[in-house]
Amino acid sequence: MTAPVTTDPELDETAADDGRPAARRYGLLAVALAVVVGLLLGYAGGLLTPTLTRPGEGSPEAGFARDMTTHHAQAVEMGLMAFQQGEDPEVRQIGGDIATGQQGEIGTMQTWLRSWKLDPTGDQAPMAWMPDGARSVKNGLMPGMATPEEMAKLRSAKGREFDLLFLQMMIKHHIGGVHMLDAVLKQGHDDDVLAVAQVMKNTQQTDLTNLVAAQKRLGGQP
Amino acid sequence: MSISTPGGPERRPTVVSTGKKPAAGRPAAGDKPAGGKSGAGKGAPRPTAGGKGRKPVAPVKVSQGRAWGPIALFVAVGVLAVGIIGWGAWAVYKGSKPWQDRADAISGVVDFRKKDKDLVQGGKHQQGPIKYDVLPPVAGPHNASWQNCMGDVYDAPIANEHAVHSLEHGTVWITYRPDLPADQVAKLKEKVQGKEKLMLSPFEGLDKPISLQAWGFQLKVDNADDGRIDEFIKTLRVNASVEGPNANCAQGVTATGTTPRDMGNQMDQPTQ
Repeated sequence: MTAPVTTDPELDETAADDGRPAARRYGLLAVALAVVVGLLLGYAGGLLTPTLTRPGEGSPEAGFARDMTTHHAQAVEMGLMAFQQGEDPEVRQIGGDIATGQQGEIGTMQTWLRSWKLDPTGDQAPMAWMPDGARSVKNGLMPGMATPEEMAKLRSAKGREFDLLFLQMMIKHHIGGVHMLDAVLKQGHDDDVLAVAQVMKNTQQTDLTNLVAAQKRLGGQP
Repeated sequence: MSISTPGGPERRPTVVSTGKKPAAGRPAAGDKPAGGKSGAGKGAPRPTAGGKGRKPVAPVKVSQGRAWGPIALFVAVGVLAVGIIGWGAWAVYKGSKPWQDRADAISGVVDFRKKDKDLVQGGKHQQGPIKYDVLPPVAGPHNASWQNCMGDVYDAPIANEHAVHSLEHGTVWITYRPDLPADQVAKLKEKVQGKEKLMLSPFEGLDKPISLQAWGFQLKVDNADDGRIDEFIKTLRVNASVEGPNANCAQGVTATGTTPRDMGNQMDQPTQ
């Protein structure tokens, strides 16, 4: 920092001999000042680094955390319906599992946003954080999400009809979810986000295997 | 810098080599008194001694010339440092400005958390119809079951007793006067549909065309294009919840009608 100050080519050593006491005083002052400025800069840098390096408002991480919260919230709603309305024991079990599991993941994602000092929700269009995101949005809904009409139909369904409808909708929902997870795994930089997204993907793929098997067992159409 | 020094060019190489040593440790300050000294001391006009000789001519001028550069540099570096620190502090301060402050900064917003602290404390569950002083209600006691708030769009008025419970769970509830033009309603619907912790319904007797509610906050606007609607949603959705982001919006009452349904009816209905 002080380096440029000292490059005066005319510095005269003999003269400096005579002026030693005064020179030392000014020199000390300059060094002290340089140290103080250096410390302040270091402090500011330390203070700023997390702000500059953590995911920001427009980052793929923030977009993912917000959109996946919405995506998960609907899976929780469907899972709770299955837990309450399902006829087949496995459908009820899977429903409860998905609801509690994904609600927990919502908590994780919301905690990220909080620690990044971002609002829990954004004002960006759904999937705007994905390069090809806008194309995968249909009627304002993210990939795999059910329309209000489909949700109303599921809500009023009963017995085996409910089970099959639930399985069909949840399979579609999970396929969309895996698509979003692949995107953040490709674009994300935050280690924690990547690790959690990988776990989410593992879970949804295991779920998919079991959902498809249950659908087959109950004689439903893929 | 001080090119005015007599005999400068020839002397420079030697001086540069000797001048480098003290350079790192003792900066600019070192040559200021030196210049002054030589000025006061000797008047020897010829720098014949080469590199070791004093600078005899116009010493005051020389010393000033040497001093300004370092001072300017110090000032520049100082200003830069203060600028960086100041900007950083400002960014950190602004970035961490709590949502409450941002909500209060929305023009026209009514903050009942400041106006009526008792009202906005956690809502007590209470069965049956409840009378609310503020309409549409923004907080207070409510029924055990909440109105489904998964981005639901209701085309008829809903029960306040359920809606207030949804507010407690972090929902922004948008209400509009039934005479609001269809294209305006469509714009509101687009903001709400499919997004958890949002819901939309008409509301009888509003004094303004549109009224937005979050737990403890209200904002009334004249039309659906008002930019404050998005600002209100972004700032208060989920944030205004007294129960955090994991409060459930599913499994609520999906029926319309202003008469509250008690928990029993709601829970009985869907089970086998």
